[in-house]
Amino acid sequence: MSEKRPLSEMPKGLKQIVEDKKLLKTKLLIFAEADMNSACDFCRFVLLLTEDALVVGTNNKLGFSDPDNKEIDYSDFSFTEYKISELSNPTITTYVVGGMFSAKIGGEQTPICAFTNAYKGRVMRIKEILSVILENKEIKPERLFEDKRDEFCHKCGMPYPEKNRKICPKCMDKRKIFFRLASCFKPFKFKLVLISVLCILSALVNSVWPILNGTLLYDNVLAKNKANSVFEALPFEDFSIFLLILVFMMVGVKILQQLFGVIQGILVAQIVPKVVADLKNKVFASIQHLSVSFFTGKETGGLMSRITSDATNVTNIFIDGLPFILPNLFTIIFSCMVMFATSPLLAVVAIATLPPAVIISIKLEPVLWHYNSRRFQTARDFRAKLNDNLTGARVVRAFGREESEKVRLQKVNENVAAAQTDAMNFDVKYTALYHIAQSLSSVLTFTIGAAFVLAVFKPQMTYGTLMTFTGYVSLLAGPANFFSFIFRWWSDSMNSAQRIFEILDAKPEVTEDPNAVPKTNIKGNITLKDVTFGYEENREVLKNVSLTVNQGEMLGIVGKSGAGKTTLVNLITRLYDVTEGEILIDGVNVRDMRFSDLRKNIALVSQETYIFKGTIFDNIAYANPSADRKTVIDAAIAASAHDFICKLPDGYDTEVGSGGRGLSGGERQRISIARAILADPKILILDEATAAVDTETEKNIQASLKKLVKNRTTLSIAHRLSTLRDADKLVVIERGKITEQGTHKELMLKKGEYFKLYQIQSKALAMRGIGD
Amino acid sequence: MQEKDILQEEIKEVEKLLTVNKLTKENATFSETKGGFITLLLDGEQKGQVNVICTFPFTAPNEFLSVRTADDKEEELGIIENLNDFDEQTVLIIKKQLEIRYFMPEILKVFSVKEEYGHTYWSVLTNKGKHKFTSPSGSSGSVIRNGNRVIIKDSDQNRYEIKDLSKLTPKEMKKLDLYL
Ligand SMILES: Nc1ncnc2c1ncn2[C@@H]1O[C@H](COP(=O)(O)OP(=O)(O)OP(=O)(O)O)[C@@H](O)[C@H]1O
Ligand SMILES: [Mg+2]
Repeated sequence: MSEKRPLSEMPKGLKQIVEDKKLLKTKLLIFAEADMNSACDFCRFVLLLTEDALVVGTNNKLGFSDPDNKEIDYSDFSFTEYKISELSNPTITTYVVGGMFSAKIGGEQTPICAFTNAYKGRVMRIKEILSVILENKEIKPERLFEDKRDEFCHKCGMPYPEKNRKICPKCMDKRKIFFRLASCFKPFKFKLVLISVLCILSALVNSVWPILNGTLLYDNVLAKNKANSVFEALPFEDFSIFLLILVFMMVGVKILQQLFGVIQGILVAQIVPKVVADLKNKVFASIQHLSVSFFTGKETGGLMSRITSDATNVTNIFIDGLPFILPNLFTIIFSCMVMFATSPLLAVVAIATLPPAVIISIKLEPVLWHYNSRRFQTARDFRAKLNDNLTGARVVRAFGREESEKVRLQKVNENVAAAQTDAMNFDVKYTALYHIAQSLSSVLTFTIGAAFVLAVFKPQMTYGTLMTFTGYVSLLAGPANFFSFIFRWWSDSMNSAQRIFEILDAKPEVTEDPNAVPKTNIKGNITLKDVTFGYEENREVLKNVSLTVNQGEMLGIVGKSGAGKTTLVNLITRLYDVTEGEILIDGVNVRDMRFSDLRKNIALVSQETYIFKGTIFDNIAYANPSADRKTVIDAAIAASAHDFICKLPDGYDTEVGSGGRGLSGGERQRISIARAILADPKILILDEATAAVDTETEKNIQASLKKLVKNRTTLSIAHRLSTLRDADKLVVIERGKITEQGTHKELMLKKGEYFKLYQIQSKALAMRGIGD
Repeated sequence: MQEKDILQEEIKEVEKLLTVNKLTKENATFSETKGGFITLLLDGEQKGQVNVICTFPFTAPNEFLSVRTADDKEEELGIIENLNDFDEQTVLIIKKQLEIRYFMPEILKVFSVKEEYGHTYWSVLTNKGKHKFTSPSGSSGSVIRNGNRVIIKDSDQNRYEIKDLSKLTPKEMKKLDLYL
């Protein structure tokens, strides 16, 4: 964490000007850039904030500063200084994209600059610090350093292409990643070496082939000439035997080729699945440790499939790519050598006509690749839509939308077909073009070569030599192709690897303090001191919340939807960390406690019930898989779940979750409650835990909870106030702030928000004659 | 007694929530402050600074505009059913405000579109000047196409619009073709 950069760091060019012009009287606190003026035209702005002034510089040149020139020229900036004493009410008005920074200057709210999202974070920080200065509060030193939401690559100044992924694909150190990846293959070192050796051997064998089926066949055997060939060493001159030997050699070469291929295939089959599985395991293992915030905003299905394809991608280059570099290089060099030795002139012709094919492949291969990826994308879209349609089948029927759904799917399906046609069309064209270019080269070589054979040009060449020669020319095509795409492949797979390592290396935002003191006996006193928290920067969901719950007490939390109730309990369980303030359990800050202690002692029944795939028994025993049947049944009884479970034909063995039997909303809730009860925590948190059950069942659950609640701190969130009648204390949260707290009686006497809510609920019910 | 009042009050509040307050030339006067913000005078009552929000920013940018207070309560003061019913001056200041709020530069020319490392790098000329941006490739939703109108969202969620594809040169179309 020591590498955090101070926000006062300015680009060099600007620093020089600021110094030259003596723009700052006191120390610079924060520097920020913005990219629009108040009319929302692209325009460069710099903001410099010190303890007593805000200096705003702009070049007033419309148009985004020349995007090709990374170095911004600050020399034509004009600067305006606003004394802090002249400023008040700094405000950020957020728009759909970006926002505007304004402040009251001389009694009038005046725009200072506007910004797109890329510059949002820093400008917001300026506003924040400015407000702190204006309120005469102390600036927290850590707010003057960059935090996780910093926007630009330090090396090249490009905005990061993905905001929550602080990696600049252009600047990442691919070599380092490579070596790290290579370490995954360590257990297979020997096999990899073997694969490489096999590659070299087959390259060697391959290079012999043109000689066999060229010079040796035509010039020696068929021409009945023993000179300058392997047959020279033989003491006899029977050319049918020579032919037989040659045929055996040729068959041998082919067999060897296949043999090497088979062995290689077997080795690859042994390595790839293991390495891929290993990488995936590592990734999934480390995902388990990540904070929840990692998952929000990520489509989990997509995440999984990406990890899988990344792992495969990465492994493939080690298997299909790297081992072939040397053999391909060897093939190129060897072929060229033979070609030049045979006929330098013809070699030049052959090599000079090679580039068109290579260029076509370099130019068009990416396009083909793109068409194909679009094809996959549309196919994925189609599957997603189809899945949507099937899982939502009931809604579709209920609204009688079958016909329009059919049309909608048809449309997507047509897209798939169109993308497929496009890809295939292009593929055909590309292949044809490539082959034409290639054949042109070989036809040309062959024609000129034939001229040599016919002795039109000197020196004369034999027919066999020409065959050998063209054999080598065609050998060249493979490696040339290989080298034309290996670079792209390489950078793609390094990018995949990067994504994998990123997850492996991701530091959870919420981390366990290594020096945490074990604390197994939690009593259950909870204290919140001035807790402030926001999921996004500068959008506080909870503001200065303070409250105390004593051990064994039940606290009821009331408030409108979106007020921040769930957020509050998420902080207590440390799914997120507070931005400011602290949360204490038995006087110990939750940040100083071990995760295991927290999890063991706090059970949460959340608003969104989650039923895992498995039996009902498994689901209830989730927190404690070693629980016996009796305990599980007891927990189910306490949660009023026992009765409905008994009515299921398979009882506690009923398979539920995706693919299993459906459960009603209330049934799911009761299973979640049973799960929490079984965990036997010191602190029980119920977030709308009984919202989906009827009042009768709720009463039953409450009665049993009451028994259980003894010696247990309970936080209960409910919209239905009758649920909270037994609470020792109630808090009302409104837009992130606690507005009222006290017992039911106190709050009723106070005649505030709670009173109002309570009256409305009971009156409304009474009016319809269903009051309780 | 007191209880009844509260209930009555609540019912009134609910009713208020349920009735859409229609803003017309007759009951609402919009004016612009020196700083370029909008204030609203509603039924003779000064409501202070307000924000105007499109309810259908893509399909009907001038209709059903929600007018809300600029504080963090963001209470809805009323709805403008059709902006064009107002006088020219009002239309002008509100349009200016909307343009800022729904900031979306128009792409006039495409210099280059390149894909690399899973991201598409765009270099374009917009009505706001030359610009370069990056969008995640392959993720659906970064390029929204509606007939000849295209909206591109970059990795910062900034939006860019191509108003009419057919107005681009064939060469530009070819560059774009793969990415749409
Ligand atoms: N993961 C998240 N990222 C960003 N904002 C969030 C996230 N979760 C909740 N919010 C926002 O935080 C605010 C408070 O949400 P919270 O879930 O705490 O409300 P709540 O009081 O539990 O509401 P309800 O009664 O509807 O459950 C809401 O405005 C919500 O949109
Ligand atoms: Mg909630």
